[in-house]
Amino acid sequence: MQSYEYYAPRSLPDALEYLAENAKNCRIIAGGTDLIPALRNEDIHPAFLLNIMEIAEVGGISETEQTVRIGAITTFNDLAESGLIRKEFPILSEMALSVGGPQTRNRGTIGGNIASAAPAADGLPVFLSLDAEVELSSRRGKRNLPLNEAIAKAWTPAWGNDELITAIRIKKLPSGTRTAFYKLARRQAMARSRMTISLILRRDPAGIIEELRFVPGSVMPVPRRMEEIEKLLTGKVPTDELLDQAARAVGEEMVKVTGIRWSTGYKKPVLGNLFRIVLSQLITAG
Amino acid sequence: MKKRGIGYGSMFYGLGYGFSRTDIASATLEISQDGSIIARSGEVDYGQGSDTVFCQIIAEELGVDYSAIKLITADTDVTPDSGPTSASRLTFVGGNAFIKTSRSLKKILNGVAEDILGASDLVFREGMVFSRSAPEKSISFKKLAGRAYARGVPAVVTEWYNNTTQDVDPETGQGDAYATYCWATQMAEVEVDTETGRVEVLRIVAVTDVGKALNPLNCEAQIEGGVVQGLGYALEEEIKEEGGYVKTGTLGEYMIPTSLDIPTIEVHLLEVTEPKGPYGAKGVGEPALIPTPPAVLNAVRDALGLRIHKLPANLENVYHLINGAEAGN
Repeated sequence: MQSYEYYAPRSLPDALEYLAENAKNCRIIAGGTDLIPALRNEDIHPAFLLNIMEIAEVGGISETEQTVRIGAITTFNDLAESGLIRKEFPILSEMALSVGGPQTRNRGTIGGNIASAAPAADGLPVFLSLDAEVELSSRRGKRNLPLNEAIAKAWTPAWGNDELITAIRIKKLPSGTRTAFYKLARRQAMARSRMTISLILRRDPAGIIEELRFVPGSVMPVPRRMEEIEKLLTGKVPTDELLDQAARAVGEEMVKVTGIRWSTGYKKPVLGNLFRIVLSQLITAG
Repeated sequence: MKKRGIGYGSMFYGLGYGFSRTDIASATLEISQDGSIIARSGEVDYGQGSDTVFCQIIAEELGVDYSAIKLITADTDVTPDSGPTSASRLTFVGGNAFIKTSRSLKKILNGVAEDILGASDLVFREGMVFSRSAPEKSISFKKLAGRAYARGVPAVVTEWYNNTTQDVDPETGQGDAYATYCWATQMAEVEVDTETGRVEVLRIVAVTDVGKALNPLNCEAQIEGGVVQGLGYALEEEIKEEGGYVKTGTLGEYMIPTSLDIPTIEVHLLEVTEPKGPYGAKGVGEPALIPTPPAVLNAVRDALGLRIHKLPANLENVYHLINGAEAGN
């Protein structure tokens, strides 16, 4: 059993003040689905625990003409139940429903999913595929950071320890864009992802790929868009031969990052297979 | 590509301990002056439903309502030794002990009732004790209990059921090692994704010889539970260790099926009376689980034309089977 000071403010300035004062030994808790087990296992030993779940400005889902802002303490179930999200980013709804089980979806938040920066995170790769930005607040002010610059390494955010992730911002997708999320796991619920595929696709009327964004999840220490694969297919009509070629390249790109590990014999071919299957379904879907 | 297959698994299983190993159960009944019954057994109901079946047996024997019985189990402070809760033996051995105990108690009460009613052809049914030939000669079970108490007859009875069997011939290994045997066959229908190695079980049909289903819903539920456990054994459960440390030490890492992983399970109860069993019943617990893994793995073989020898039949092991490579750790 550990002891630490616990603070659950209702105002954002109070929270940022507290964070700035105690930055070195403070951990931020939202849903606690990662943090509570880490405390129990004594993997972390914070002196201060800042609960942000009572702060209204850190929650809610809102839109402008161009963008959607999702508050950091939005839970996976909030996300899954949002009509706005289902309309603008169905890939986020699908991802949210695949997370853990009802209990973890009721507690786990998207801000926590990003800040934990777990290699097997489900939310992180989907937000990366959407070119999301994180809104960071501190006593020093507010700034937006592209998500692909926000994770330093596995389990480690790249922002300052006096900064709090207050929201995710995503630009709305051009009309005609299709999205897909696929999760391969050892069972249908309460399972860490073995691999995930996040795809954003837009084709012109002739079937040529205008834009493709692809992020594999649970295969690299920090998930990122596989731009090499996106480039390989963009500007082309996705024939079967081209898809097979891309599927092989996916595995090779993965190995460039991860090197050969015990799981490579499985993940290298199967990641390519999943990419081809999910992309083919997206292409033939309409 | 997704390939489908069908497979079967069959088993027979010796109930109880067999081979001259001690296999006993005691059971105690105590009757209060208001007719309520306190039953004691050392058997543990950890969800399989033995408490329900024991109360049914007592109610059946004494002709009283199930709700009149208070059962105390598995408390070494107050319950008698009934042997371990294992070997699919509770209904069979513990159940027989309660039949014996109930009949001994009934004999005592019957003597009192014969004296009060002046009849010797008494029937215990639906909370009443009455003469078969002259049903107007009757007394309620509750009243009878009060009269028996007033007369000071024994109100506590303990009986002992011995299910210990003969050993087999030490030279030949031949003989009848167990009191009885349970039989079951299951069919599994699976779909294997050859590009990921994922095995999805679409349907299980389970046919089990239960002797006599003392509680059919309970039997079905126990078989469903066994099937789910068998699915975990075939497809998910795996202990991984590294340098002497278990890496799969939580149920987040050591996989068992969730409710979303469970296919349609069709249960058929076969009732082939076992003369030694309570009302002809046999055990259900382990026979529910044993045929499931072979049925699933035979179905995988039917789908792929390849037999898997490394369990669990999870993503990696099945994928490497299809692609002819040895699986990793």
